Amino acid sequence: MKKIFSNEYFLFIARIVIAFVFIYAGAEKISDPKSFSQAIYNYRLFPSEIINLFAITIPWLELISGILLLFGICVKENSAIIGTLLLLFIVLIVISLIRGLDINCGCFGKASPIGWKKIGENLLMLILCLALVAFGSNKFSLTTRK
Amino acid sequence: MDKKKILYIIFFSIIIGFTYNYLNPNGIPLIREERKLDFAEDDTVNLDSSFTFQNIPDTLSNKNELSEKDYNKEKDSLINQSTKSKSFTTEPFTKPLAIKIDKAYQLYKQGVKFIDARMPEEYAEGHIKGAINIPFDGDESYRNILKSFNKDEILVTYCSGTECDLSILLGDELFEKGFKRVYIFFGGWNDWVERNYPISKGNE
Repeated sequence: MKKIFSNEYFLFIARIVIAFVFIYAGAEKISDPKSFSQAIYNYRLFPSEIINLFAITIPWLELISGILLLFGICVKENSAIIGTLLLLFIVLIVISLIRGLDINCGCFGKASPIGWKKIGENLLMLILCLALVAFGSNKFSLTTRK
Repeated sequence: MDKKKILYIIFFSIIIGFTYNYLNPNGIPLIREERKLDFAEDDTVNLDSSFTFQNIPDTLSNKNELSEKDYNKEKDSLINQSTKSKSFTTEPFTKPLAIKIDKAYQLYKQGVKFIDARMPEEYAEGHIKGAINIPFDGDESYRNILKSFNKDEILVTYCSGTECDLSILLGDELFEKGFKRVYIFFGGWNDWVERNYPISKGNE
């Protein structure tokens, strides 16, 4: 198992996949902050005073971490950030499912309702992130010349 | 792993986020504004009572698309005529107004278009008879039908009940798109079913 996770090609692919997912997710939310603010509001877990602060900053954190990950800059650090975000999203979705909320997850724009499938996707990405945090990935990276 | 780097990345993301939001014309306020619903005054909802369009949803569903269009046009012009005769209804709203079940039913009897803002699955399970489905979170293609509507037309949006906000969001969106007489039916589907008002199932 460790062999697979520490394989440099596996780690490289994991890095690229997560990078693109988060670049897309971040850019999409940046383009429509109003919808993202509404999506956070729909979870009904946060006071309305702080919702927009999240809506303004989280998409940029996703986008910047994604770009840095794509170019292999600070891979472990960015994987840790994205992993933390994923963990947070999983917790939020689970809470909402248990509460029986039928809402849009706010993950990738409109029309992506929350559900166990979403949790599965996020868990998968979280595992990839953990592997990257543990082993890093400097294949085709800008900072290390090989 | 360097924790300092993590803090730097988070810090810069926050700075860029706030700067971008400040410069972005579509930026959002730092503190979210609660959407307050204003309820319509009694007299603004009353159309000329001599113009009622009974059973329109029934007949509409039996007609084919082409004639339905003509029919709508005819109906629109009739509604326009009737509203023009009353000065208070021709005044454009400053924002979408909320209405409750009684007024909603009154408008329904007058043949006003109802728009279901819920997801297509919920719409198929049951909706107000004759209502059009434009899921707020759905595909853009659902919104194509809006192009055939007259901007002066009265529209009523609704969702599942008082707790949902899809009807409010869709109402605001329609209002921004230029529909000047948008009502939000506060109470929505739940209130409608409770009163046993006409409903239909599937995609009719």
